[in-house]
Amino acid sequence: MPSSFLALTSFKDKYSTSPSSFQVSSGREVMENSVSLQESSLAPSNGTLGNSSLSPSIVTDHMCASALPHVQHSHNPAFISQSSRDLASLLPLDASFSQSTASLIHTQGNKDVSWSLDRLQMFLDLPENTPAPNQLVESSTSVLASEDHNKKTNWQEWADDLINVVDPDWSKILDNTNVLNPRVEMYQLPKPSGDISKQQPQFHQNQLVPHGEFSSHAYPSSTAPPTKPRMRWTPELHEAFLEAVNQLGGSERATPKGILKLMNVEGLTIYHVKSHLQKYRTARYMPETSEGTSEKRITSIEEMKSIDLKTSIGITEALRLQVEVQKQLHEQLEIQRNLQLRIEEQGRYLQMMFEKQKKVEDEKGGAPSSASDDLLAPLPGSKHPPCNNGKSDSEALEQDHSRTGIGPGNAGTNEDKSSSGVSTKQKMPETESTVHDESGFSVSKRARTEK
Amino acid sequence: MKFGKRLKQQIEESLPAWRDKFLSYKELKKLVRLISSAESCVEYGKADVEAEFVHLLNNEIDKFNVFFMEQEEDFIIRHKELQQRIKRVIETWGPNGTKPSEAEYKDEMAKIRKDIVNFHGEMVLLVNYSNINYTGLAKILKKYDKRTGGLLRLPFIQKVLQQPFFITDLVSKLVKECENTIDEVFPVEQEDEEEIVKEQREAITVAGKGIFRNTVAALLSMQEIRRGSSTYGHFSLPPMDLPDSDLIHSFQLNSPIPIV
Repeated sequence: MPSSFLALTSFKDKYSTSPSSFQVSSGREVMENSVSLQESSLAPSNGTLGNSSLSPSIVTDHMCASALPHVQHSHNPAFISQSSRDLASLLPLDASFSQSTASLIHTQGNKDVSWSLDRLQMFLDLPENTPAPNQLVESSTSVLASEDHNKKTNWQEWADDLINVVDPDWSKILDNTNVLNPRVEMYQLPKPSGDISKQQPQFHQNQLVPHGEFSSHAYPSSTAPPTKPRMRWTPELHEAFLEAVNQLGGSERATPKGILKLMNVEGLTIYHVKSHLQKYRTARYMPETSEGTSEKRITSIEEMKSIDLKTSIGITEALRLQVEVQKQLHEQLEIQRNLQLRIEEQGRYLQMMFEKQKKVEDEKGGAPSSASDDLLAPLPGSKHPPCNNGKSDSEALEQDHSRTGIGPGNAGTNEDKSSSGVSTKQKMPETESTVHDESGFSVSKRARTEK
Repeated sequence: MKFGKRLKQQIEESLPAWRDKFLSYKELKKLVRLISSAESCVEYGKADVEAEFVHLLNNEIDKFNVFFMEQEEDFIIRHKELQQRIKRVIETWGPNGTKPSEAEYKDEMAKIRKDIVNFHGEMVLLVNYSNINYTGLAKILKKYDKRTGGLLRLPFIQKVLQQPFFITDLVSKLVKECENTIDEVFPVEQEDEEEIVKEQREAITVAGKGIFRNTVAALLSMQEIRRGSSTYGHFSLPPMDLPDSDLIHSFQLNSPIPIV
């Protein structure tokens, strides 16, 4: 029993990280909801399965349960079906299965499990909020990581120790748990206090916009706007911090509480201020050269490096050279980053084009049910009911090599479509030998239909 | 494998405190390999490996985010402090200062120059950190999709693009500001100096570890990675166009001196 519980909670942990980290369709959130409910009901029953009303429907059919409308046929290793398989596989834990998964997940460390255990208790109290329970674990874990990291950083500096592993100290974790629990409302959220959830992507995007303040931007595709305990400092925020510190008489005299009050930034907590103050004090009283482990190492080593370089061409020149190289690296990195962004943008664009086109095709010749499906769902992989050989467009793109004659999306009832599927496959090697699948496919497909 | 080796090299050459913060590329690759073999296994099936893979990816991303934001916060503080320090030095020992002293001024300025250049380097290395981890993620996702016929790559990469560790705008801004400060703090380069410098740039040995060595290594590594791939596709980066590549290549990187 304990082992299966362990596996369950760890699985929950896993599950919570995977789908919540992706853009979710509303349907999936329903699933999440049901999972979290189920898990909360599991906690008191100590790991016995089958307590919740959901289990029968999910357990029976591994893949295409009626309760999971977005699950696709098992042959399609779609991204969606994977997470729904996660869901499904959460439940029918037979002994061997759980053993193997337990050992697999063990690498995660005790930390996560302890979090899960704590969090499960909280789930009972929380209202029915979708991403909240699932992401709480993740958020708390990362907060813990950051908190520990903060403490560790200071010890490093003083002890010249290079340990960077977060300490899976249970007592510390549990203490922090209690401390973190009440930290509910970091950001202005329309939902009630039970909604501690975190989704990294949106929050940080929002974070940049209001210059260090916390915003209440809702994440478009999830029902509950997430809270992100991990905070990102900005120069403006730091300026406000400095002002507060100076008003309170300097870094030695100022207290975190006082600073927090003076700064008066919504969502800022005393923990943020505390850790920031620590960093600040270190930076002030240990000037640049001996600051931080990395720098400490550098100092002694710079001397070694400098000997050859600097005796021959003088220190200033050596430094100039160093700056040159660094500037170049930075420039190249920026160029590379822009390229990467553009590449992905283009990929997205092509994807969208293909989807649109597919929609047109479906409307032209597809069965009414599938056409309406296309119209409804915006995301790839979430469209088709299981009766279809349910491939989304993007899957079709990728898998067309390996599949034989399955047209994009609908089972090729339409002669036109199935032939187009086949001929496009034939075309693909011709069109672009170097260019990757997706674009090649969509390009040739577009060409075909335009003819 | 090429990337894996490059990554390993970069990790070895990176600042010690950073070494375990990089992408666990090897581990992820193991999982990808495991997936194909897991197909046949009944108990421990493909779904589990996939789940583990995604789980690991998410953990890695968390790791990057936490580390990156820590460093970023540090940089913000240090950046400000450096500026204060420069101001103080000028105001105290500078020609118009409260206790003007050329010797002290020179001394302090030399220290500041060294510090600021290293600080600049460290920030650039953080941007590099972000980039190389992103590249690794993109590569492993591509491998995954190829192996499994899955479609993890596209949506996952979209998500990665929004992660804090990838959004390096602030650090880049600090780097640029730092460069401005450097221009102010360094004396204007004189004519004869330039010539001497050009002569001596030809064979410079960069010994030991340090920010400088790291940046050189990072640049060279980047160039290698982008040299041209066997699986060049629509999502691949073109080969790098490094203007001063002979300069960079003239730096001979010695074998790392083991840190005692």
